[in-house]
Amino acid sequence: MESKRKIQPPRWAIRFLQWYCRPELLEEIQGDAYEIYYREVQVNKRRADWKFIWNVIRFFRWRNIRKRKKDNLKYSTDMLQNIFKVAVRNFFRQPGHSFLNVMGLAVSFTAAFLIGLWIFHEVSYDRFHLDPDRIFKVMSHVDANGTIETYSTARVNINLAAIPDVTEKTVVITGTRWPNELCFRPDGKPNECIYLFGVFAEQPFFSIFNFPIIKGDQNPLANPSNIAISESMAQKLYGDVDPLGKIIKIDDHYPVTIVSVFQDVPSNSSLQFQFILPIQVFARMRGFSDDYFNRDFQTVYFKTSTDISGEVLTTMLNKPDIRTEDLKKDKLSYSAFSFVDTRLHSEFVNGKNSGGRVQYVNLFTLIAILVVAMAVINFVNLSTARASNRSKEIGIRKVTGALRTGIVMQFVGESFLVVVMALAMALLSTQLLLPAFNNLIGETLSVSLLNLSIVGWVAAFALVVSLAAGLYPAWVMSAFQPAKVLKGNTVTASAGAQHLRKILLVVQVSVSVGIIIFTGVLFQQLSFVREKNLGLDNQNMLHMEPTYNLLKQYNAFKNELLHHPEIENVTATTADPINLTVQTTGVSWPGMPDGKNASFKLLGGNHEMAQAFGLTLTAGRMFKNTSSGKNEMTLSLNTDSTKQEVIVTERAVREMELKEPIGTEIGIGNAKFTIIGVVKDFHTESLKQEQLPVILYVHDILNCSRLYVKYREGATASALEIIENTYKEFEPAFTMKYDFMDEAFDKMYKTENTASTMLVFFTGIALLIAVIGVVGLATYNVVRRKKEIGIKRVFGASVIQILGNLSQEFIWLITFATLLATPTVWYVSDRWLQSFAYRINMPWWIYAVTLVTIVLLTILLIVLQGLKTVRTNPTETLRSE
Amino acid sequence: MKGTYLGELEELVLLHVGILYPEAYGVAVMDEIERQAGRSLNISAVHAVLTRLEEKGYLKSKMSDPTEERGGRRKRIFLLTAAGKRALEEANELRNQLYSQIPKVALQLVGVSKY
Repeated sequence: MESKRKIQPPRWAIRFLQWYCRPELLEEIQGDAYEIYYREVQVNKRRADWKFIWNVIRFFRWRNIRKRKKDNLKYSTDMLQNIFKVAVRNFFRQPGHSFLNVMGLAVSFTAAFLIGLWIFHEVSYDRFHLDPDRIFKVMSHVDANGTIETYSTARVNINLAAIPDVTEKTVVITGTRWPNELCFRPDGKPNECIYLFGVFAEQPFFSIFNFPIIKGDQNPLANPSNIAISESMAQKLYGDVDPLGKIIKIDDHYPVTIVSVFQDVPSNSSLQFQFILPIQVFARMRGFSDDYFNRDFQTVYFKTSTDISGEVLTTMLNKPDIRTEDLKKDKLSYSAFSFVDTRLHSEFVNGKNSGGRVQYVNLFTLIAILVVAMAVINFVNLSTARASNRSKEIGIRKVTGALRTGIVMQFVGESFLVVVMALAMALLSTQLLLPAFNNLIGETLSVSLLNLSIVGWVAAFALVVSLAAGLYPAWVMSAFQPAKVLKGNTVTASAGAQHLRKILLVVQVSVSVGIIIFTGVLFQQLSFVREKNLGLDNQNMLHMEPTYNLLKQYNAFKNELLHHPEIENVTATTADPINLTVQTTGVSWPGMPDGKNASFKLLGGNHEMAQAFGLTLTAGRMFKNTSSGKNEMTLSLNTDSTKQEVIVTERAVREMELKEPIGTEIGIGNAKFTIIGVVKDFHTESLKQEQLPVILYVHDILNCSRLYVKYREGATASALEIIENTYKEFEPAFTMKYDFMDEAFDKMYKTENTASTMLVFFTGIALLIAVIGVVGLATYNVVRRKKEIGIKRVFGASVIQILGNLSQEFIWLITFATLLATPTVWYVSDRWLQSFAYRINMPWWIYAVTLVTIVLLTILLIVLQGLKTVRTNPTETLRSE
Repeated sequence: MKGTYLGELEELVLLHVGILYPEAYGVAVMDEIERQAGRSLNISAVHAVLTRLEEKGYLKSKMSDPTEERGGRRKRIFLLTAAGKRALEEANELRNQLYSQIPKVALQLVGVSKY
């Protein structure tokens, strides 16, 4: 019997049972559970333990659970009324304090909501497809002498059927220019031109992607004479008339029939298009033979029937039946890239995914959290600092029988009220600011409060924030001892609370300083990018898209333009020189080491392009004017006819290690070329990329796709008018499409520019919240030290001395905070700068300037706050003892 | 309350409370059901049924003297009430009456239909 006593079921289970069980049922339930336990334990202790635990869990039923005592739970309505009244009175007793509290929270909530909307939008990209995680894109990685270049293309006839998991594959050709951007004539207006973007795709497009067809043929890409257009395009071209069956002439030439109308592509789709044409149309427009086109590289999407991972697919893609011998020889390998990562993870460095936009999403998530955290810190600081004002009330409440939990509930409830108020203001201001914010970042975000999940998120957010903000102050305040409080001792929060306030202030200021410095660095780098000499003149340069007809009359068009003194130069190229994508590893030169695989960029154009773009010649000569048309030869990689001339950059000379570049014969593909000139290096890509060597060659004007017009500085408006008028003369039926080269260059940093505008916005908010924090604490400090100040004044301290005394503590804290923030900011901004191949040195002066500004600002705030108190006649402050 | 309808498990428990008179309490009822009907019930389920029957007025209960095997705790002893006894009788009667209405042939065919 004695031994039985010692053997006990698990202690926690016993406690749990005692905790939840209704006292009047405890004895019999415990009794039965123990009886079974003692019986079982004779056989097997472990089994008995488990059974006991199981029984305790099974007894956990509504019927058996202890109900809270009624009188403990129920606040009388009078009491609730009283608490509410006190809360409201307190709110209005110190309007300044309350205003700071609510404003601080509201501002940070607004910032968090705006960021939240943006993040939700970014993350939702491409998620509206069916099984989005089963859609992949084939990427090609080419090893060019050690560095791996990544392209989101694959061979058009890639043999994906070799992978059993792949159900469907489609080639999708996207682009920003002809043939993806086409001129459409509205119904009955043959001389008007609406430019719209579209894609070319293979038949399974509509079954892989979820772009619902609302009218007409569900499978429009089956027939090469079909076109599917979007709802809004139908509206633009035909108004309310039924577009089905209408015939559109592509390039005024090739007729296709509208067989389907699809729903407008949502804004969170990375594939954007107004119309879809079958892929055969593309081959035909470009004049590709089937055989040639099949070997071409285009974007290839596929869908799998199983949840197979990208890694596994990548290994399958590199098996010999897909990655054929010739691709292997070209050092090309494939990989599968998850389609939903297109928006946020699209950057590759040296063949490895390096993230992309997701960095900014993470950055802003962090900022949103920090901004809210800072506002919550403010709230906590201000509330605990003000605790002494409530001490008498708490004392009375306790004496008359309030429990600590009750008081905690009261204060958490009060902070909940404040949070809800701030939330309402934030929702309102989010609505009001949204258009401006959209404008700022160039998106179309919208908020609908009718969405249940958003309401849920917001409610959860309010709850968490009010708990975070209210619990600590409530805990501190409810700990006051009534005896002390009511005796009339001024109760200040404990030393611990004071320390905590300082720590929180330091954290807050570090965060603000961090955000400010990072923004500074970002701005420096972006202006560096904007102002860096590209080696190529992109100022006062207008780019336009010529029609074929215009190109045929190129010389006449050019001469007509050059009549005007505003126009300085005209030239044509095959590609965009500041975003040059034509790249080859097929260059050979005398003395080339075996196995070398160097990448060169190729830029074709008419003979004046080097002069027009302001390239600096360092050796040899420019192309000669051979405008008879006879000698302007086509670069053909398959013929080795007459030798053509090329101009190369200095980097190209270095790459080829040529001692005497002029006159050297090089090969591109099978064609032979002679170097006639060397020009200084220029950037052909975003400054994130290392410059590559460039080879310029003369190209037949009819194959050029871009015209550039250089105009006199300051004459933009008149030059544009001249160009437009001349264009109308030559092409009356078309609207001129143009842009400015420097603007196009800026567009390459769209993500960075968006990020920087957003950052400035949030820097302002971070600063504002930090200011609110400092003001709040400074005010409190001054009030607390009123008597001290009075006595000091009586003993002859000057106003300056006292103000210095007041600011001293803050200046220390802020300097400390800045020093604390420095290493982190340095690390983060350095990593960001690393993403640019051409970047500024870390601007240390920004750190110093930020520190000095913040300290000065703090002193200013404290002086403004303190001045009134300090100047008060000491007799007044000291009298009321 | 839930009316006077007697569930199958309730009937079983009620019967066993009667069988175990005057020593019917949670564990004893559970053991007896396992022994007699071969049904293994969790003790908490037995408790739930017992309290429900008490609420319906079919059982009444009192606390016993403290016992050694329960670590000095008392048992709650359940006893049938008059209403409980009547409920059992009614249930029994109803069953017998219904059973007697089944045609003999039907009962015979049950065996045959299994081949």
